[in-house]
Amino acid sequence: MPTVSTRRVVITGMGAISPLGVGAAALWQGLREGRSAIGPLRHPDAGRLRVKVAAQVPADFDPAAHIDERILPLLDRTSEFALHAAREAVAQSGVDFAANGLGSRTAVVVGTGVGGETTQDEQSRRLYGENAQRAHPLTIVRLMTNASASQISIAWGLRGPAYAVASACASANHAIIQAAQLIRYGLADAAVTGGTEACLTYGALKAWEAMRVLADDTCRPFSVNRRGLVLGEGAAIFVLESLEHARSRGANILAELAGTGMSADASDIVMPSAEGAAAAMRQALDEAELNPADVDYINAHGTGTPANDVTETRAIRLAFGAQADRLAVSSTKSMHGHALGASGALELVAAIGALRDSVVPPTANLDQVDPACDLDYVPNVAREMPVRAVLSNSFAFGGLNAVLALKRAP
Amino acid sequence: MTGTIQQQVFEIIAKQAKVEVATIKPESTLKDLGVASLEAIEMIFDIEEHFDITFPDQQGANFDTDTAQSLVDAVQKALDGKAAAGEGSK
Repeated sequence: MPTVSTRRVVITGMGAISPLGVGAAALWQGLREGRSAIGPLRHPDAGRLRVKVAAQVPADFDPAAHIDERILPLLDRTSEFALHAAREAVAQSGVDFAANGLGSRTAVVVGTGVGGETTQDEQSRRLYGENAQRAHPLTIVRLMTNASASQISIAWGLRGPAYAVASACASANHAIIQAAQLIRYGLADAAVTGGTEACLTYGALKAWEAMRVLADDTCRPFSVNRRGLVLGEGAAIFVLESLEHARSRGANILAELAGTGMSADASDIVMPSAEGAAAAMRQALDEAELNPADVDYINAHGTGTPANDVTETRAIRLAFGAQADRLAVSSTKSMHGHALGASGALELVAAIGALRDSVVPPTANLDQVDPACDLDYVPNVAREMPVRAVLSNSFAFGGLNAVLALKRAP
Repeated sequence: MTGTIQQQVFEIIAKQAKVEVATIKPESTLKDLGVASLEAIEMIFDIEEHFDITFPDQQGANFDTDTAQSLVDAVQKALDGKAAAGEGSK
């Protein structure tokens, strides 16, 4: 078999907008303090909804304060989040895409579960509810799933491969993996990647209600009194570079994206499989050349549904064997909610924070551990401990699994 | 669809489970009837639409233990609640 030369991939910038506030630092600070951003649902139609709680970006987030007024009319809320997070990530990385033709060697891959849902909802309401004669002329450019990727590409003149990735709740991880592989196999030297989601519309909330998987109090992953998942929203965007590129410009490296794993359960459209999830974790370990004993923390998918929590626990045991007992495993969805196509990106901020600060964020609201969930879930309070390597799990409806393996900056 | 509440509920279950109505007993669990979780959610939707009621959120979360009779009881309770609310508003 011919050998393919591959390159190491590092993360040099991150940005986020999340229910815990504006900025990656606000997200990480909230998580390490064990602060949950889940609260009463703010929605004009709340009176007609049974959903009571959500994890929403703070009401005082004003896109106009952050984004050029000429661009603003072109953006759905998903793209507002993505552009804002990208600006923070690019600034932190200090990278100059205009220098040495880097822009044409930079990829943009952004994950989103449903894309411009707010735009879709507004226009449907006009047409079907108010019998409007015409849709807004910018409807298509706002709602198209690739809008966030395209806006980022335009904003910084990034002319490499650019596209959106959709795999429901695993979209962000699949997107980040795509971006990393483009660099690893030499199709790009840098990438701007992550996930964004903003789909707390009346229609989408009604659809989630009908699935009967939403908690009415809060998100309690791995706790026997859990009542389901809590929907969230937000975006996190990262700058990835090949290790040599980052070193050549003296960049501050946040972490190495050392390995990735992807698999499909090929079984049920909603019920997860431990085997599928374990296969993705094993691949990520293999690609990162990590042994189970080298990993200290797993940021779990941890939705707070009985189907996920028990199956994910089994999957971790399958992938880690006896080493599973010494792992710290936590679900930060207990604090930032389930941001669906953005969740893996928000959780990558947590994974990087854990590596850099040697602090594992807790699983909030975990007061009665489910006997069927027998790992160390770091209940309620963050833990200071050495963190050498981290896995971050995302598993989607449809049985699609995507796992990231991270190491400390080399 | 007419008949008692039980008959109506059993007919909806039979349609979703693709079994004869006669094979459904009050003590049959959804699992016994081969109803998977997603089908159960669809069945609850059909029952809500048929009776114009809304089950509480946690209703239908236990597909392994919920029986046909428990669904009939839940419908009766929801209908009673609706009737009481209707009277209250007069």
